[in-house]
Amino acid sequence: MAKNKIRDWLEVRIGLDELLKSQLTEYRVPKQINVFNALGSVALAGYLIQVISGIFLMIYYIPHSEHAFRSVQEIMTRVPYGWLFRQIHVVGSNLMITAVTLHMVTIFLMGNYKRPRELTWIGGGIMMVITFLFGLSGYLLPWTQLSYWATTVVTSLPTAFPFFGDFATRLLRGGDYVSGITLTRFFAVHVSVLPPLFMILMGVHIALIRRIGLSSTPFGKTDEEKRPLTEFRKKTHPEGHAYYPYLFQKQVLMVICYFLIMFSIITFAPTFFFPEEASVPADAFKTPENIRPEWYFLAPYQMLKLIPNKFLGISLQIILLFVFIFWPFLDVQKEKNIFKRPVLRGVFIFLMISWVILMWWGRR
Amino acid sequence: MKRRSFLKALFAVLGTASVSSFAYPLIRYLAPPGSSDMDKKVVLVKADIPVGGSKIILFNDKPVIVINRPGRGFIALSKVCTHLGCLVEYEKDKNRLICPCHAGTYDLEGNVLSGPPPRPLPKVTLKVEGEQLIIG
Ligand code: FES
Repeated sequence: MAKNKIRDWLEVRIGLDELLKSQLTEYRVPKQINVFNALGSVALAGYLIQVISGIFLMIYYIPHSEHAFRSVQEIMTRVPYGWLFRQIHVVGSNLMITAVTLHMVTIFLMGNYKRPRELTWIGGGIMMVITFLFGLSGYLLPWTQLSYWATTVVTSLPTAFPFFGDFATRLLRGGDYVSGITLTRFFAVHVSVLPPLFMILMGVHIALIRRIGLSSTPFGKTDEEKRPLTEFRKKTHPEGHAYYPYLFQKQVLMVICYFLIMFSIITFAPTFFFPEEASVPADAFKTPENIRPEWYFLAPYQMLKLIPNKFLGISLQIILLFVFIFWPFLDVQKEKNIFKRPVLRGVFIFLMISWVILMWWGRR
Repeated sequence: MKRRSFLKALFAVLGTASVSSFAYPLIRYLAPPGSSDMDKKVVLVKADIPVGGSKIILFNDKPVIVINRPGRGFIALSKVCTHLGCLVEYEKDKNRLICPCHAGTYDLEGNVLSGPPPRPLPKVTLKVEGEQLIIG
């Protein structure tokens, strides 16, 4: 009874029935949809988890070079359940990067970046870069040996470029070296520059997906995107499933899996993301041995090590990143199905294998 | 019509001027203030560093390593790897300096032996005066 009253109240004010109908049941998704189509919402859930646990951490964290390390230790040992929120944030960051990467890979495999979804892809690519920047800026905050020296290396990267490079590095660090000034800068970026950027992009990304309509997998039968497309046409799937409950259930299932993996790691492998150097306070006068970045930067790190020329190494990586983000404009073939495109498939497999090899190599 | 295009141009100019007049303060705000280089000399006692030994000092706020090389005397080298800024370590038994980050190695003159560093380690002037070492 009470529920009905609330419903009626909302009905008058926001047109609830029509809203639910148009957004949930009348919003149709393609028939061959599968769990991989739910990866985007896993990434979104992952982001929300980061926001919430991050706000909790901010209550005790002190962004100052003399207190940062100790305040993080206190969160881990003295604050009731502080360890839980820190673990959620740290494990969550790694899992979110995994989810984002898997999301991009599956979209790529299904050719869903193709016309008219170029903008959706580019927005996603920029969000992926921002996700990495979140990881990078957050890494410094506990002010450990690992975070200090990883940041030293990363902020040195611009020095590879003539003229502007040295200035850019000083700008990032707020001085000649990574110092307390760098810490407050990175903190500001981590908590107040990146989040609004990310939110805006996410809003645009989701709005675009809803406006254009989900793409069906190219592995099915007909693929209407092969027809010339000169005007805006929303892809409705009249013969498809209703978003609710069909895709919604898959999304919930995947988010539950996400939580399952997260809490398994926290429970059974709590030190998985905490190497030894991560428990030593930052020392500006001693570079620890075996300093290496987080796993998601291992491949570029190894590439940098292998290419003797700094300028070349870094330029190559930037070029690769641009190729990746603007890929929809470089791939002009109409065929979406990667099984019918041996060259693209070959390149993809080659890239995947070399990524894994570089990562494994960089690990030692 | 003429008046309209004149006003448009005026707005464009004024708008650009007011937006860009914030750009300079913004960059200056973010850029760190110039470092207060004082070139203060550092004086060490020779006997403190035995042959094959080394000492780390701060010179102009930058870490510098002073090494007493077997058979070749003292040298002062910047500890900051010219690749990406990690600090090199002195490997006594191998007579070289090694950077832990990307395995760059240098000889005891600061020259690159192997690895990614693009330039030798900068030398810092060092003078031996009697029982003292004067750095800077
Ligand atoms: S920072 Fe020394 S080798 Fe890269």
